[in-house]
Amino acid sequence: MRAIVLNYGVGNLFSISAGLRRADFEVEISQEPKEADLIVLPGVGAFSAVGNFMRKWEATLNDLRRRGVRFLGVCLGMQIMFEEGNEGGKTRGLGWLPGQVDLIREAPKLPHIGWDSLKERSPCILSEGLDGKYAYFVHSYVAYTPHPPAMTSRYGVEFPALVCDDGVAGTQFHPEKSGETGKIFFNNLRRWLKA
Amino acid sequence: MTTRRIIACLDVKDGKVVKGVRFLDLKLKGDPAELASRYEEEGADEIVFLDISATVEGRKTLLEKVRETASVLSIPLTVGGGVRTVEDVSNLLSNGADKVSLNTVAAENPSVVSMASREFGAQAVVVAIDAKRVGNGWRVFVRSGTKDTGLDAVDWAKRVEEMGAGEILLTSIDRDGTRDGYDLELTKAVVRATKVPVIASGGAGKPDHFLSVFRQAGADAALAAGIFHDGVIRIRELKDYLKDAGIEVRT
Repeated sequence: MRAIVLNYGVGNLFSISAGLRRADFEVEISQEPKEADLIVLPGVGAFSAVGNFMRKWEATLNDLRRRGVRFLGVCLGMQIMFEEGNEGGKTRGLGWLPGQVDLIREAPKLPHIGWDSLKERSPCILSEGLDGKYAYFVHSYVAYTPHPPAMTSRYGVEFPALVCDDGVAGTQFHPEKSGETGKIFFNNLRRWLKA
Repeated sequence: MTTRRIIACLDVKDGKVVKGVRFLDLKLKGDPAELASRYEEEGADEIVFLDISATVEGRKTLLEKVRETASVLSIPLTVGGGVRTVEDVSNLLSNGADKVSLNTVAAENPSVVSMASREFGAQAVVVAIDAKRVGNGWRVFVRSGTKDTGLDAVDWAKRVEEMGAGEILLTSIDRDGTRDGYDLELTKAVVRATKVPVIASGGAGKPDHFLSVFRQAGADAALAAGIFHDGVIRIRELKDYLKDAGIEVRT
C-alpha cells in the first residue's frame, strides 16, 4: 500500500516514515498532497505554523478526500483536522472534525511527554486490541470535541487519543514511537484502509 | 499520571558504545543499533544516544549511526554530545533523533537553546546538566565534566527551562558509574525548582535506587547505562519490581 507523508516543514518525518515502512507501506515524502492509498499529516510543532500550508492546499486536500483517499493525522496532524486551533493565535483548521484545539487544562506539567494508557470509548477497526495499552505522547494541546473519540487518554483531563470518522483517522499519540502499541495500530491501519 | 520512564543510555565513541567510571576509563560495550533494539525489546521507554567522540573522524560516523539506530527503534530516541549549533540540532532531527540534548553549548552559547526551542519546539530540546557537589550545593560542569562553569545547578535548571528546554537530563558526576545510587538531594532540588520533566542520571546500581529516585526525589524518568550493558539489571525485571512497589510504569 502506498502512503504519502506530507512535508510541511515541521516534525520528524524520519520516524513516521520508518514506522510505516516497518508495517510494509511504500512511503513517499512529498510537499504536495496527491493520490495514494493513504495521506499522512505528520507533526510536532505549532498549529499556526501549518496555517499557510493548509490554506494553500485546502481545496486539493478536500478534493482528494471526496475522491476516497484516506487520511491519517498524527499529533499536530490530527489537531489540524478540527475546526480551529488556539496555538500561536487563532488558526482555522481543515474542519473535517468538529471542535477546537486548546491547551491541556489542569496539566501537571507541560509539555506532556511520556507514556500513558489508552481507553476504548467508541471502538472502530483502528482501536482493536489497544484498550489498556500504553502509547507515547508529546504535546501541550488537545482537541475539545463533541465527536465521540474511539479512544481517550488522561493527563489533567480526559482527551481524545484516537479519532476515527468517515475516511479520516487521527492519533494524539505517536504510533511510530509507541513500540508494540504502534505495531498493533499500523496493522489495524492496513485493515482500515481495506475496509 | 504519566508513567515513570526507564531510559537506557548509550555512550558512543567512534561509532561504538562505551562506558566509563566518573567519565573516565572507557570500555567497549557493543554496537549502538544492536544494543538499542535489545533494550527496546526488554521494555526500555526511551533511548539516549550520547556521542562522546573526541575526533573529527568519530564525529563523521555519528549521523550514520544515529540513522541506523533510529531505523530499528519504535520508541523515542534522544541524541546528544558535541552539539554546537542550531544546524547540528536540525541535522540530528532529520536523521532520526526525536530530541536533541544540549550540554556544553547551553552554558557557553545559551541562545542556541532558545533558537532550537523556537524552531523545533520545546519537546525536541533537552538540556543536559552535569553537576558535581561543591560545598552545600552543586556546580555545573561542562566539556565532559572537565570545566567548572561556576553556575549553580539548581539556578541553571530554572534558567534553561526559561530558555525553552522541554526536559532536563540531570547527571551527578560524583555518582556516574559508581552504582552507589542516584544523587537524591540533587534530583529533588531540581525537580522542585522546575516544571519540565527531569531525567535522573548517574549512579544506578540496583532496582531500589530507581524506586528511591521516583518516590523520594520525584524524578519523571531514570536513566542508566552500565548496569544494563553488563546485565546487572534487566529492564523487564526492574519494571516488574517498580510496579509491585506501586510505581506506575509501562509494562
